[in-house]
Amino acid sequence: MIIMTNNSPQVEYIPPVYKEKRLRHSKNPDKIGVFLCRCGDNISNIIDMEKLKSSIKADFVAEFENLCSINCRRHIREEIIEHDLDRVAIVACSPLTHLKTFQNYADPLNPHMVEMINLREQCSWVHTDQEKATKKAIEVTRAGIEKLKNAQALDKIIRQTEKSAAIFGGGISGITAALSLANQGIKSCIIEKKPTIGGNMVKIGKVFSPEKLAEECALCILNPIINEVINHKNIHIMTRTNLLRAGRKATHFKLILEKDTGLVHEERCIACGKCAEVCPVEVPDEWNQKMTTRKAIYKTFPQAVPDVYTIDRENCIECGMCAEACKMGAIDFKLKPEVIPFQAGNIIIATGHENYDLNKRPEYGYHRFDDVISQMDLSRILGVNGPTQGELLRISDGKVPDKVVMIQCTGSRDEKADGKRYCSKVCCMIALKHASIIREHYPDTEVVICYTDLRTVGMYENYLRYVQDKGLKLIRGRPGEVSKKDGKLVVRVEDTLEGKPLDIETDMVVLSEAIEPSAGTMRIARKLNVGMNQDLFIKEKHAKIKPVNTDMGRIFVCGTAQGPKDITDSVAQANAAAAKVSEEIESGTEAEPPVAVIETSKCDLCGKCRNICGFKAVYKDEENMAVDPMACRGCGACAGQCPQEAIEIKGINDQELYAQIKALLSDKEEGEIRILAFLDNVGYTAADTIGYNRINYPEAIRIIRIPSINRIMSHHLMYAFNQGADGILMAEYPDECMLEAHKAKIKELTEKIAAEGIPNDRLRFYKAYAPHYRGLNKQFHRFYEDIRAEAKI
Amino acid sequence: MKNIPHENILLFKSCLVNVEYPGVESSTRYLFDHLGVEYQVHPDQSCCTGLGYYYDLFDQYSTLALAARNFYLARESEHTNITTLCATCYAILKKSLHLLNSNEKARSKVNEILEEAGLSHMKYEANMLSSEENIFHIVEVLYSKREQISQKIKKDFSKIKVASHHACHYCKIYPEQSITSSRNPMLLDELADCCGVKVVDWYDFKKATCGAGFSQRFANRDLSLSATRDKLYALEGKADVLLHMCPNCQMQFDRYQPVLEKELGRKIGLIHLNIAQLAALAMGADPYEVVGIQTHTIPVEDLIDKIKDIE
Repeated sequence: MIIMTNNSPQVEYIPPVYKEKRLRHSKNPDKIGVFLCRCGDNISNIIDMEKLKSSIKADFVAEFENLCSINCRRHIREEIIEHDLDRVAIVACSPLTHLKTFQNYADPLNPHMVEMINLREQCSWVHTDQEKATKKAIEVTRAGIEKLKNAQALDKIIRQTEKSAAIFGGGISGITAALSLANQGIKSCIIEKKPTIGGNMVKIGKVFSPEKLAEECALCILNPIINEVINHKNIHIMTRTNLLRAGRKATHFKLILEKDTGLVHEERCIACGKCAEVCPVEVPDEWNQKMTTRKAIYKTFPQAVPDVYTIDRENCIECGMCAEACKMGAIDFKLKPEVIPFQAGNIIIATGHENYDLNKRPEYGYHRFDDVISQMDLSRILGVNGPTQGELLRISDGKVPDKVVMIQCTGSRDEKADGKRYCSKVCCMIALKHASIIREHYPDTEVVICYTDLRTVGMYENYLRYVQDKGLKLIRGRPGEVSKKDGKLVVRVEDTLEGKPLDIETDMVVLSEAIEPSAGTMRIARKLNVGMNQDLFIKEKHAKIKPVNTDMGRIFVCGTAQGPKDITDSVAQANAAAAKVSEEIESGTEAEPPVAVIETSKCDLCGKCRNICGFKAVYKDEENMAVDPMACRGCGACAGQCPQEAIEIKGINDQELYAQIKALLSDKEEGEIRILAFLDNVGYTAADTIGYNRINYPEAIRIIRIPSINRIMSHHLMYAFNQGADGILMAEYPDECMLEAHKAKIKELTEKIAAEGIPNDRLRFYKAYAPHYRGLNKQFHRFYEDIRAEAKI
Repeated sequence: MKNIPHENILLFKSCLVNVEYPGVESSTRYLFDHLGVEYQVHPDQSCCTGLGYYYDLFDQYSTLALAARNFYLARESEHTNITTLCATCYAILKKSLHLLNSNEKARSKVNEILEEAGLSHMKYEANMLSSEENIFHIVEVLYSKREQISQKIKKDFSKIKVASHHACHYCKIYPEQSITSSRNPMLLDELADCCGVKVVDWYDFKKATCGAGFSQRFANRDLSLSATRDKLYALEGKADVLLHMCPNCQMQFDRYQPVLEKELGRKIGLIHLNIAQLAALAMGADPYEVVGIQTHTIPVEDLIDKIKDIE
């Protein structure tokens, strides 16, 4: 067999894109330039600029009206070249607003050689006393310059994802995603564990079309798409194939697949069917929901793709009759499953769902009564290629039923043991679709639907009306039991609108079975280390804004693997997943420091870093632990865990932290209070917002921006307390995937600080939320007041 | 399946068993003795309060205080595998332990009550026992010994058809802890199968209540009896014996069946036995001395006549 290979060259890292760094070996120390901004008068109306300017010790200091204006770009560049500056401090506003701007203005310099000192949001907008504000501005500026002196020049990390995708699952979702990618020139491989692609859609006969108020032939819609897939040069299909192992690299995944041969040489089989004719073994046919039989050598259904016969090893008795009958010599009992190494830049999980095991609701008698069937069974019965050639007949006696009762929410919305708490979303529409077909073709057959709530949202409501107009009886109530009395099935239900119990006699009962995550979905999630939600569907990274991302970079999800949904939604999500893969490949991703870097020689592979990382950035790359810079947020949780101190957080090193802490406390006067506030990005945003709203807080508050509290160790805090900090506030957004790490960090810091004899209310933690800036402000005030009250006593 | 103990068992006495069907306890003791299960019955054990609790006569605190006292007896006698004869005892004790372990307020109040009563030594501390690991039902012990039971069968029950009635308070209060599926319980069915009995497959109303409903039996007699009637009618002609695991259910069916038969105008002819009674009979226990069939309203003698020794 031919294995698809990736044509794109293998690129691990592209060399730095920055302009050649200035050579610094000739001079020592680096030359520092400081650019002050008046920001109109937003800064200068409170801060005494002259005083500030005269306090600064640097190789170059200049003041501007509006430093961010485009003409200042020229000034900054000119001064850098003119004065041969190596590092630049911008004393202006928040780095969140303008750091990128000034990194750009200082272009010949490495971006990490630019430091922004936030006088506007943290001094002039939040303090009114000019003298105190100026004093603070001087210290904050000094701290920024000290930090700048210790900054390291870092290169951006650019990664080029390999231009290929492995798509697990060959149902409508996987097929759609593969086709979209292939059309964009991306090599895609559909990996399907069953002998044929097409998934559930090939079985269901008809699909509902709410916009047309009709039911359409599923296979007629699907076949052209499948044909396109078979003939596409960029698509390769592997059926009867399972994932054995998966390894992760910076630009691709290394997969080990196992392809079962079905004891048939695919390329030789011409699907003549002579083998099946002579096969003596008959087994129930899953494709027809076991209502018919097939042979041990079989093709799933006439239009199956790939169009080959396959042997069901479990039931084959190896009599050899098929091999004798096969003129092509395609059957070979010695064929062994093949283990195939495979490489792909991206993965899409489209492994679909399974139907709820109706044995778990024994009171409905699915296995006791022939004429209690599932909606999927009914789909096959109504399918023209099904066991009854599309005629609605009872399994027990082959007669057309006079009455059909459907029971909704069988297994769904069920909080008791073995039930699914969620709504399976599609069953109301499936029941209506079947009701519509029955009422259309068998007007003498009555259809009753016992429902919990009818969930026909949006335009689907039109379809409900359309089916209701065909004559449909709806009973709001969840049946308790199905029994048999005098040869008739009896559905026992309470009509909850009328408040009365009913015994409905019927000829056929159809259970609307829940959708549940497939075993394959759970297996693949575990193999790829992708997170699942509490119901064991694949969990999307963010339900609102990242609905097809998983918590693993370059692994995406679509279709019912992610949760119950209909074909319309599955196709939309499949296209979205394909778009995300394409984006990943086309854009090349950049990682910005801070990021964690593991020094492999120190690492003893204990794996603590991998366990703590909620962003799943740490992985084992063959023999070494590695960090995926694209997934890493530089929070530092791993560094805090590493017993070998083998992890460094590039972008905010210890020297920078120490320098800032020291400078922010250096000229603290007798009786003055100083509180250091370590804020993550969300906390920092909230602090900026306090500034935008011109809300005052005490000058005692001094802010240090950090990637996460996980970056901070007890020795940083002790250094601050020893340098004279009266209090330390650590504020961070409680990111869900790092909650455990946060809790552990808070506990660790609290205990260590307490052990050093620091009163425990001097170290405070706060959950920051960007819009709740008033909450943060209240924390600033309260902390300050508490310390002041204590000082007075 | 959870771990089922075979020693250090406190066989927890049940008021309904002792008053209505003492043969259930003696059958259990007979079985435990023959199956090598080490157990003890504590002479000072008090009632679980279940009946009073569900009649709204006892509040939660009284129940908890008595439970704490019983838990002390279990600890003191080093028989901490508390195994109940009655499904209500089972659920009441599980709930009590759960509350005593997790609800600090309840625990300290109970301890205050014990102290006031001069029983400080009986005070309960969190997690001395566990709701999941210290409370069992005798059926679970028998189920875990089913292979052994099947080897000791002396009577031929192969012509007897039985159906099972799984107690609500075993299956539905702590469903995740019940052995075999709580929605399709097969404990009694599988055990009966080991006794060589023909087990009736699913029957209509299999999962429905016996109808007793504690106070409902008196306060809502018609409703209560209608539930009993549904099940009995569904089994008429289909089974000879209905198997129980709770004395309250057994009592509801055995004592009220004649009332319903009178109303129906014919005999339903269903005999009611606890699973322990059936297993003891099958293993050759004396019907009167051990199985205590003389306390039954529906006579068991016909059944005894039908079963012969296995040759």
